[in-house]
Amino acid sequence: MRYLPQRLVIEKEVADSPLVKRILATLPDTPVDWVDQLKEDEDGENGSFLEIVKFRGRFIKPCPGTRFYNCCGYQILNLGIQCSLGCTYCILQAYFTSRNVRLFANLDEAIQQLTEHLNNSRREIHRIGTGEFTDSLLLDPLIHLSENLVPFFAAQPNAILELKTKTAQVDLLEKMDHRGHTIVAWSLNPPQVIAAEESGAAPLEARLEAAQRCQEWGYRVAFHFDPLLAYPGWQQGYQEVVDRLFSAVEPGGIAWISLGTLRFMPSLKTVIQQRYPNTSILDEEFIPGLDGKLRYFRDLRVEMYAYLNELLLGIHKDLCVYLCMESDDVWREAFGFTPAERGGLSAMLDRRALS
Amino acid sequence: MVEKESYSIQFEEVDWNDTSCLITYGPLPDKLILSIQTVGLIQKPLLQRKSDGLLRIICGSRRLAVCQQLGLEPLSCEVLSTAISPVASLRMAIYDNIAQRALNPVEKSLVLTKMAQHLDQAQLVQEFMPLLDLEPSDTLCGRYKKLPALEEPILDAIARGTLHERIGFALSPLEQGDRLAFFNFFQDLPFSVSVQEELVEAVVEIGRRDNLTPTQILDSEEVNDLRRAHKRPARQRAQQIRKQLQARRAPRLTARKERFAGEARDLGLPSGVRLIPPPYFEGPKWSLEFTFAGAEELAVRLRNVARLAEQARFQRIMERE
Ligand code: SF4
Repeated sequence: MRYLPQRLVIEKEVADSPLVKRILATLPDTPVDWVDQLKEDEDGENGSFLEIVKFRGRFIKPCPGTRFYNCCGYQILNLGIQCSLGCTYCILQAYFTSRNVRLFANLDEAIQQLTEHLNNSRREIHRIGTGEFTDSLLLDPLIHLSENLVPFFAAQPNAILELKTKTAQVDLLEKMDHRGHTIVAWSLNPPQVIAAEESGAAPLEARLEAAQRCQEWGYRVAFHFDPLLAYPGWQQGYQEVVDRLFSAVEPGGIAWISLGTLRFMPSLKTVIQQRYPNTSILDEEFIPGLDGKLRYFRDLRVEMYAYLNELLLGIHKDLCVYLCMESDDVWREAFGFTPAERGGLSAMLDRRALS
Repeated sequence: MVEKESYSIQFEEVDWNDTSCLITYGPLPDKLILSIQTVGLIQKPLLQRKSDGLLRIICGSRRLAVCQQLGLEPLSCEVLSTAISPVASLRMAIYDNIAQRALNPVEKSLVLTKMAQHLDQAQLVQEFMPLLDLEPSDTLCGRYKKLPALEEPILDAIARGTLHERIGFALSPLEQGDRLAFFNFFQDLPFSVSVQEELVEAVVEIGRRDNLTPTQILDSEEVNDLRRAHKRPARQRAQQIRKQLQARRAPRLTARKERFAGEARDLGLPSGVRLIPPPYFEGPKWSLEFTFAGAEELAVRLRNVARLAEQARFQRIMERE
């Protein structure tokens, strides 16, 4: 499922950046448009262009959690936006009009901002991810971003990089000296869900095989059952995923596993209906959550979380399983405790990050 | 100055099928017939000679229709020069109409649809939507542009104001049969506009989930039983049907509400006290509402509720099945 743009649209200002040079060398036959400055969200409905621009804002930001639900205290390193994998539920469809993937070429500035950020709070532990507004490894075969990031994080005493992906593009990670400061994470779903709703992403087996390879190379891995989707027979579907997961990877090398049922801003509903009229992800009933997002009814969420948690802990009781954006009462009902009882969700994950 | 001249026309010269500049929709106003009958035609219709020799109506289609009905031939009209472009003629028709009256939603949709053939989207939205008293938005413009494809009874109802254009927007992506099924359903029962919107969404979603068409759902036995229970007032029937469809779309929430209602009843809360769950049972905050006459009554109710709150069944109300 390798990403290959039909055309490159590059801002002249970043023509000399190492990232642009690398892309031009990797894709010598792809036509290029050189432009002065692209708009923030250029029209690009068909998504076949790769836009390379200078980013003019803050590269590092806290994850936009809300006060109503427990947030994991994650931070986002934003090096690009959009994704070509085309998951039906993808939230990016509501964030950006354009479907073109956009990369920020001024990586040196990103690294500088990141260095300052880490130096300003040396006593804190920083869990930082690049997979919020795109897939972390989607473009790695083209741009080798991991060659910049993994060694950088290896040298940081107080930071962990989480590369979240639905691809199996991990080859470049093999030879890197990561020193345990990079966690490679996959989002997981049953094969029939992947086929119907994540059709551009790697199949389950390929994801798990990639995770296995990463473990062999000494990386810790993580998994996100997010979005968990309710469909007739979901229990069996997720049970199979869990079985396959643990026949592929070593549970002791799993940093964390998150669970989060499908949720989205109401405006995404129309987009999904228009782009994917045959999807069944909107069939379940939704209620507006405290943060305004549509979510499954709480009893179903609790049921799904409790089921998955039991499956996972039944295989390895020391796994760190957490809920993404859920309230204390859902935690208590599904897991029997609240994050506050264990020092808070952020602290729980920080401990795992350093262990 | 617009180039035009007075000319006495025969009705056979008029190309009644050329609707390219017609944006009027709706029945002939009775007063127009009366006025022409009584004092004759005050304002002359405007037409344009076409290359085939026939005349295209630009402004005054209703006046022409009335005059034809009354046999007022030959009729003195204004005829535009052929040099005037189709878009300029259409613009004239639109401005002439809006200067005289407020357009109904179907007419607004005709303006946007017809003008869209000549202008780009940005110009259409910026110039014509404010002119039609509409918020200049691409999305809204897109919705209006879909209205003219709706069936005549639906358009008539929208033009008359008995069906809101928002319902026309909601019906436009559906199949013709389903649109008419909804239309008849809404003619039968007094739902507010927002409830009509809610019902279109719910029925379409139930259909998608259960592999049924909206028509099959609206014509199902359960719905029909309530719809035809004519002994009950229409408002009550409408409420019951809405409840039934909501329950079908959201069975988990409905079951939870029913369980809550039963348990709250069994709890035996003192009169004047109401337990209110969080909206959609989401979040931890439940409320109690007290109605009381004086401090003494409040104190008694508080004591009674405090006793109940210590019981396991009070706790159970807040828990999942
Ligand atoms: S992989 Fe993630 S970012 Fe890419 S389309 Fe799927 S949900 Fe969106």
